Amino acid sequence: MGSPLFLVIVALVFIPLLLGLRLSMQKYSYGIPGGFIGLQNYVSVLRDPATLTAAVHTAGYMIVAVVLELVLGVCFALALNEPFRGRGMVMAALILPWALPSVVSSILWLRIFNPDNGLLNTVLLRAHILAEPKVWFSSRGWAIVFIALVHSWGVVPLITLIIMAGLQGIEDQIYDAAAVEGASAWQQFRYLTAPLLRPALAVALTTGTVIAIAIFDEIYVLTGYQLNTFSLMMQAYQTTFTKLQFGKGAAFAYLVTLATGLFAIGYVWSLRRSEQ
Amino acid sequence: MRTSRGVRIVRAVTIAVLLVWSLGPILLGVLTSISTQAEVQAGQWLPTSMNLSGYRALLTSGGAATTSGFVPSEIAAFGRAMLNSVVITLETTAVLLVLAVTAGYAFSRLRFPGRRVMFGSLVATLIVPALAVIVPLWRVMANLHLIGTQGGLLLIYVSANAPLAVWLMYVHARELPISVEEAALSDGCTRFQAFRLVVLPQLRGGIAAVAAIMALSVWGEFFIPLLFAPTAATKPVTVLITEFVGKYTTNQPLLAAAGILMLVPPALLAIVLSRQIRGLLSGWSG
Repeated sequence: MGSPLFLVIVALVFIPLLLGLRLSMQKYSYGIPGGFIGLQNYVSVLRDPATLTAAVHTAGYMIVAVVLELVLGVCFALALNEPFRGRGMVMAALILPWALPSVVSSILWLRIFNPDNGLLNTVLLRAHILAEPKVWFSSRGWAIVFIALVHSWGVVPLITLIIMAGLQGIEDQIYDAAAVEGASAWQQFRYLTAPLLRPALAVALTTGTVIAIAIFDEIYVLTGYQLNTFSLMMQAYQTTFTKLQFGKGAAFAYLVTLATGLFAIGYVWSLRRSEQ
Repeated sequence: MRTSRGVRIVRAVTIAVLLVWSLGPILLGVLTSISTQAEVQAGQWLPTSMNLSGYRALLTSGGAATTSGFVPSEIAAFGRAMLNSVVITLETTAVLLVLAVTAGYAFSRLRFPGRRVMFGSLVATLIVPALAVIVPLWRVMANLHLIGTQGGLLLIYVSANAPLAVWLMYVHARELPISVEEAALSDGCTRFQAFRLVVLPQLRGGIAAVAAIMALSVWGEFFIPLLFAPTAATKPVTVLITEFVGKYTTNQPLLAAAGILMLVPPALLAIVLSRQIRGLLSGWSG
């Protein structure tokens, strides 16, 4: 049974991967095949000012999302680590946002950020923090923060589970010893839990980063083709499937893949180094 | 950890924040879906009565809208898109389960030539981002005339999800004690009987978890069908609903109703899965 599956994977993953590499070195627009042009597509992607803008936006999404995910993930995991009545139901509530299609999450949050009658503006207007309704998504900074927030709504459950798994691996006895020595709850967290949780945090950080680099659905729904919120994936998608520049699109995809890989390797490496 | 009063209060507050964060947007969506647009516009968060016209319009392809003799095409297409999503999700999950259970078991138990290479390359595809494959894959599928076909979509979903499914089943199968199977074999069971009668029942929990994870992944997929399922016969509800946004900013209850209808199947699966997760994390009794 392993072999037919293997053939399908070869046909649909490995062969396209190689075809993509060849494509990325060709001048190829839809229907108009061109010749081999070496690394020219890569150079043109890297020289395109739109690439830099999209990279800056993506870094913004990534930082906001990963910080939010780790802070909430650690808090939720610590709160759920010990049994209490109704924990099963809280767990179901926790993983619910992860289970929903990101397109649906975005539509739900649209109700909060809607400029005319959204929850956010309603609350801020009633509290007299805002004098008039604010169109949040027309500002680049707010748009990036709020899109990242919607993105992390679906990722926090996963990060929480990773950290919970890390907490399960910590022996209870060390806390007993610390309590005997008179360590406060904060000190126990700061000097025992946090260092021992480091491997789980690294996994969580890598997972969060890799998912955030590929951010696409939430932007597509919340701001669409609004250029000041374009991420790398949106840019790659537009290059390939709107402008139909297949060669350049393939080069773009390879560069994003490379960047993702470097982040993952970087985290693993820094984790190894900190353990020595 | 000895829990002081302060720690207990912090924990209770955190749980409250978790519930509001997770359930708040969903609750808001439910309330919006049963409001009227006038109520939404007036900033009235609790509707005075249940207005189900959004649901009715979506589920009866037009419903209230037909009285005016005109059904916008996206609304008319909603039922079909829901059906497309259900069909492709069930198909993919079924194929993936057969592949994952057999391949996962084979990789964990049987020694056959090329096993390491196959398993290694299968797991390696886990870290290949979809983006790197999608541009050439789109051309391959276009050349084979498989874009906008149920079969093409199934093929892509299976290959995209198989590595994770096989790996998860492999991890489950590896944990099973081999002695029970050996006993069955020495009692005269064939290899297949031992698999069917001894292994499969023990894998039930793992199968349920893998099925739920795969179904959720396919149900929520957006980028792949955006490219590979543009036809009415294949377009899933995730792609269709993005056509509602913008067009129906003046009918928020309708948009919310569409979102809530899409949310029901994954919400049910999430509840099933949360039980499995409790089983996975050891030392759970809550």
